[in-house]
Amino acid sequence: MLSRWRRIGSSLRRALRQAREIYEGLYIAPYRASIHREYLRQHDSFLLLGYSDLLGVPNPAQFYMLELYPALVDQFHEWHLRLGLEHPPEGGFRCC
Amino acid sequence: MSAGAPDLLPDLVDKEVMFFGGKGGVGKTTLAAACATRLADRGRRTLLVSTDPAHSTSDALGVQVGSAPGPVGDHEHLEAVELDPDAEADAYIRDVKDRIEEAAPPRIAQEAMNQIDAARGSPGAVEAALFDRFTVILNEHGRRFDRILFDTAPTGQTLRLLTLPEVMTEWMTNLIRARKKVRSLARMWGNVALPQTDQGPARKFDDDLLMGALVRRRDRFKAVRSVLTDRERTSFVFVLTPEHLPVAETERAVGALAKAGIPVGPIITNQILPPLPDGAQDDAFTARRLARQSRYLERIRCSFGGGAMTLLGVMMQEEEAVGLEALRRMEIRRLSTVID
Repeated sequence: MLSRWRRIGSSLRRALRQAREIYEGLYIAPYRASIHREYLRQHDSFLLLGYSDLLGVPNPAQFYMLELYPALVDQFHEWHLRLGLEHPPEGGFRCC
Repeated sequence: MSAGAPDLLPDLVDKEVMFFGGKGGVGKTTLAAACATRLADRGRRTLLVSTDPAHSTSDALGVQVGSAPGPVGDHEHLEAVELDPDAEADAYIRDVKDRIEEAAPPRIAQEAMNQIDAARGSPGAVEAALFDRFTVILNEHGRRFDRILFDTAPTGQTLRLLTLPEVMTEWMTNLIRARKKVRSLARMWGNVALPQTDQGPARKFDDDLLMGALVRRRDRFKAVRSVLTDRERTSFVFVLTPEHLPVAETERAVGALAKAGIPVGPIITNQILPPLPDGAQDDAFTARRLARQSRYLERIRCSFGGGAMTLLGVMMQEEEAVGLEALRRMEIRRLSTVID
């Protein structure tokens, strides 16, 4: 009796997992890439706003952005790798 | 001041936070020191802050003033401090470096340090650090002092420092808005990302650190802005002499402050030449100078006397106002009673 319930339970779980995979395949997967792209895009525009002085655009907050350096240096590294630059642009973060 | 007569000055110049500004050499340091002394004599716990890199507050008070608030001589209620902009910038840089040493991996720490040293030389560095210190002093105000008087740097620099909070509040608000977008997209990405991808959602810790720092900055700027524009608590006192350059500069500066919503007054005219005593030899040079002075006094009355602003005047004195006793004797009265 007990083993029969267990069998039913595990096949239910299997069915649920399959249903979720189908759902993901149908609905989420097409958006996954674009959500990630949008996330990176927003992140880059934040970096631009905060560190526009690196591109020669005056930034009144330049001095105050110094204290955010530790929290952003890793993301900056990923950003210039994404751009296809092996080394960070001159004058900016020295991350590697 | 005639013996026994009550000193009216503290009633005329009496806001919680006062800035003394004006062209170099018109006597703002001396007048700030005189007002501070007399407010303190009235029993107000008073702090006199010099933000002028030239630092003549020590000279005016006749005692050495330090870089942290300390008592002036043995006065019970009067303290003074001279801020050193370069030292403040160095302190800020040191603080940032310490935080990086804690947070950043050693491989990047060294490069980060070089980057920060380079930023130390940027023109905004000293100004920002000074403003930071200024914020701390304003916040301490309620607890330790009844009155704070700032003896400011030359006009242009001061106007920038005072309008900084408005610009920066705006800028920080934009940064926070951009950061919030990043954050909500990071959350969305976190929900759909495959568990095995290593590009997971933004590091929670870093994100909190960032947001916290941005919000703290914005709130500070906002708080300073609200003190600066509070008519009940704050005023910008201008000191000038009855001459072309100081009058013209003050006219422009009063306009700029009004635009920024910072209350102005009183306006103190310093170094007024006394009239020739009766029977004095008619001296053409002095007569011409006095005539010129009356023209500028008239212009001061026209330019600034229209509204609710108080006009004060100080006669040129034989004695140099150095030291607390001399500052107490300085006669600062309503302009109309000085020149009539």
